[in-house]
Amino acid sequence: MKTIAKRLIAVAAAGLISAGAVAEEKATSLDQLLKMVQQSKIAETKEHRQREAEFRRQKANQQALLTKAQNTRASEEARSAELEKKYQEQEVAVQQKRKQLDERMGSLKELFGHLTSTAGDLRANLQSSLVSAQYPGRTEFLDKLIGKMNSQTKLPTIDEIERLWYELQREIVEDGKVVKFTGTVIKPNGEQAEQEVVRIGNFNLVSNGKYLEMTDGNKMAELIRQPDSKYQSMAADLQTATSGFSPVGIDPTGPTGGSYLKAMINSPSIVERWHQGGPVGYIISAVGVVAMLLAIWRLIVLSGVSARVNAQLRSETPNTNNPLGRVLAVADENKGVDGETLELKMEEAVLKERPAIESGLNLLKIISMVAPLLGLLGTVVGMIVTFQAITIFGAGDPKAMAGGISGALVTTVLGLVVAIPTVLMHTIVNGRAKRILHILDEQSTGIVAENAERK
Amino acid sequence: MHALNDAWAAVNAFMASGGPVLFLIAGLTFFMWTLIFERVFYFHKSMKGDVQTAVDQWEKRSERKSWNAHQIRYALISRVSEKINSNLDMIQACVSLAPLFGLLGTVWGMINVFEVLAITGGGDAKQMASGVSMATIPTMAGMVAALSGVFANTYVTRKAERESQLLEDHLTMDH
Repeated sequence: MKTIAKRLIAVAAAGLISAGAVAEEKATSLDQLLKMVQQSKIAETKEHRQREAEFRRQKANQQALLTKAQNTRASEEARSAELEKKYQEQEVAVQQKRKQLDERMGSLKELFGHLTSTAGDLRANLQSSLVSAQYPGRTEFLDKLIGKMNSQTKLPTIDEIERLWYELQREIVEDGKVVKFTGTVIKPNGEQAEQEVVRIGNFNLVSNGKYLEMTDGNKMAELIRQPDSKYQSMAADLQTATSGFSPVGIDPTGPTGGSYLKAMINSPSIVERWHQGGPVGYIISAVGVVAMLLAIWRLIVLSGVSARVNAQLRSETPNTNNPLGRVLAVADENKGVDGETLELKMEEAVLKERPAIESGLNLLKIISMVAPLLGLLGTVVGMIVTFQAITIFGAGDPKAMAGGISGALVTTVLGLVVAIPTVLMHTIVNGRAKRILHILDEQSTGIVAENAERK
Repeated sequence: MHALNDAWAAVNAFMASGGPVLFLIAGLTFFMWTLIFERVFYFHKSMKGDVQTAVDQWEKRSERKSWNAHQIRYALISRVSEKINSNLDMIQACVSLAPLFGLLGTVWGMINVFEVLAITGGGDAKQMASGVSMATIPTMAGMVAALSGVFANTYVTRKAERESQLLEDHLTMDH
């Protein structure tokens, strides 16, 4: 309760202060507040009385002021009527003068119409023209000329009309030229640099092998994504060429805004394409990497084994660092036994070597078969996305469907790209393994027999 | 010379309309036919020498009955047939890879078609045509490569089989 009362007091005190009351110190109790309110009321009444007295004093003056104001009004009204009359007279004169102007201009009027439309067309052209990058500020003159021809009070001078002719001519002449000039180029990272720019007619702007685009009428900016390096080097060659012919790639839609080059910015790069494949694409890529690593590892291992087996074929004594040597060592240990037993023992030894030589081959084969299947899976997933898009947006919008379809196809490509080298690697690795196994399987007993006979 | 230039231009145009996958198919086909010709030359030239050495070595033996003789015969046949059968697997793999390359080209072309669709909204059939030809030409090229390889592969495989069989028959055993 006490706190509420305190707050009330504070608020009331604040109100008093803002009203310009005399009480400046805070009231500490309700009684004191009441007293303060009373005091300020007395003060206000005093003020009102003062004001009233002042007003009465001035009352006598008011009549004089009123008559003065009435006089002023009468004189202003008279002036207004006079001006209106003058305006009407002058309007007639203006109409006469205009008529005179129309008569005197005669066929010139028609000419100005043509000039206005020509200047308007030229202004639109110059705004998108690449020549404006070399000669900025041409449109300002045209703006002024069009303004003059549309106004009632000004006429274009012969100099200006001739300059229009000159600008038209200059645009045509410059369209057919390949020229170098220095200009400010905005880099993709936002930096600006003064550099030499080559303008190929009205088709393209290139600088240091990079293709440029024109933004905001006369600013040159490097395209964020450039054409193939082949075309870039052609453009660089053109810049350094001094005479003769130099082949270069140009955008045929250049004079109308360069829509082909702009479309190129939208087309995805290889990495973006890869990302279009989505999760299935990543799985296929991972499987492919595993397959490649496995194939390379097996290839290295089998090459080593193969080399040691070849060395063994040439040497007399069995060396246990290779499969053939180990099999022959078994034969050495069992010298006294009969043929059949020896053959069985050797077969057993060969059987032991088999898994080490064949390991990983089956996995490679499975990956080479599974990769296209994964691609197919991705395709179907992409088609599902596409049909969902059709359900939502309808079949009328090919752009909405294209995303899903390209995703579907990218996974197919990835599947094939993984499968093809895996098949090749499997064939190569399998060939090596088969050769070693052949030697072990079919020749080991023969080698033993040959060794036995030679002794 | 003029005809040659024309032919070269035609090949270039074909390669350009088919896209980069055609180069892969061309490389694969070249590799496959190199292997096939290598086999054919081997069958007609050095194989006879290999077979003859094996037969001579066998005939030189005093006895052809014992366990030792059997094993040595087996090893002789294995060594020669390994030479006869080498690279056959690779040729087979190339034959089965050719249509896969064709499919790769097809899908690549389709991606291009859909990209044009995404940019132009499907109103421009002419721009899509380049993607379509990029899709169909590699398929055809892959098929042609595979078909040409199938016949050659069959011939080479049959020949190798027959020669191994003949070798086995030549190395007669005394009973």
